Amino acid sequence: MTLRLGRHAFDDDAVLVMAIVNRTPDSFYDRGATWSEDRALERVGQVVDEGADIVDIGGVKAGYGPDVDATEEIRRVAGFVARVRADHPDLVISVDTWRSEVARAVCAEGADLLNDAWGGHDPELVRVAAEADAAVVCTHTGGLGPRTDPHRVEYADVVRDVITATTGLADRAVAAGVDPASVVIDPAHDFGKNTLHSLEVTRRLGEVVATGWPVLVSLSNKDFVGETLDLPTGERLNGTLAATAVCALAGARIYRVHQVRETRQVVDMVWSIAGRRPPATARRGLA
Amino acid sequence: MTRAVVVPSALLLLPEYAGRVDPAPELRSACLAAVGWLIEDAPRRVLALVPPADPANVARGVSTPLGRRVADELLRRSGFAGDVVEDGPVDVHTAVLVVADGSARRGEHAPGYLDDRAVAFDTSVEEALMLADSSALESLDIRLGAELLAQGVPALQRLGALDLPVDQVDLDYAGDPFGVQYWVVRWHCAS
Repeated sequence: MTLRLGRHAFDDDAVLVMAIVNRTPDSFYDRGATWSEDRALERVGQVVDEGADIVDIGGVKAGYGPDVDATEEIRRVAGFVARVRADHPDLVISVDTWRSEVARAVCAEGADLLNDAWGGHDPELVRVAAEADAAVVCTHTGGLGPRTDPHRVEYADVVRDVITATTGLADRAVAAGVDPASVVIDPAHDFGKNTLHSLEVTRRLGEVVATGWPVLVSLSNKDFVGETLDLPTGERLNGTLAATAVCALAGARIYRVHQVRETRQVVDMVWSIAGRRPPATARRGLA
Repeated sequence: MTRAVVVPSALLLLPEYAGRVDPAPELRSACLAAVGWLIEDAPRRVLALVPPADPANVARGVSTPLGRRVADELLRRSGFAGDVVEDGPVDVHTAVLVVADGSARRGEHAPGYLDDRAVAFDTSVEEALMLADSSALESLDIRLGAELLAQGVPALQRLGALDLPVDQVDLDYAGDPFGVQYWVVRWHCAS
């Protein structure tokens, strides 16, 4: 099925890189590097140059931290979406939010995709997506509320829980009027999961892909990489790219990342190994 | 002589969640030493006092309470071959293993983030354990405990309700290396 993200359509074999652009002072990886709007806009230009297909704009840190209410979240992201839309008309604009009122504000400014990273916490959000003809990401959190960490969370079968929850949310989105071609699912590494859960989800990602819904993975520099390799946040790129390669081989379609160029190369290479993408050039022995 | 031990109900004590390096070797060795002491006199049975299973985990298909699995694992590693029960009378042939811990909201990196009430709550629990104050344990505030993600409160209340005749208390471990308050405590009871 063709993937449609707002005003943009992609073929079945398209694989997309989604660059993280934080409008926050405290996100775990960049720690406020793009907190100022001008710096954030520079980051958008940079990731577009590096090959990003999508930018994912977030106004609230995913983890614990000071409260950010809907009014402040809208202040951080809505006007910025309008600026990005004006500067980059061909770019897919995603907004990372769980709040329907924020979703409404950003769709009015041109957002194409709502990345509901807290898994349907606000059931109104999919109605907003339907009204705005925007796409939506349906995420597995294991039932955790927004901005909370897992504590002694267990699953009889974590992948089964991922599939049941995300396809259930996808069905709910379609029932609310979202175009089925505009629904993406995300197993959400680290969200409601310990490191062993996230490793198992990675290992068995093919089962999630087999649901038929396009799969987004968000692996970038996360704790499951850090704990697996015993590395701090700034030294997790190689581990992230290894996980990216495994997910690419399984057929994940969208990669939410901090490092665009590196991810693009890994995904393109794996896509070619998998026979889904011809090499950029093939001359060796072919003369 | 009845003995009782308190250990935490941390998932990291279970082998299925082990990494290459033990994240809490001091805690694990304290738990194993205390449980080894608990069964030293070869009790016929161990009464395991554990918090009920987390309903969210039950909904995800994991119905055996975490505390019971921790108890079984520590007893298995200690070589205990007797019965493990979750109810029943305490007599001279029974040892008591309580799987319980304090708040998981003891700092900004704690599983439940920082709650300013957590330290005072845990201090009161630790005092009750050290004084073997059964009535204080039995009357722990279950609602506050739940707000502070202190999953051990129901098990500690049951320990208090046993009103054991304790004549010596040893605190082998107290710490919160991951933002959750753990204790390893041994109660020596009068016969």
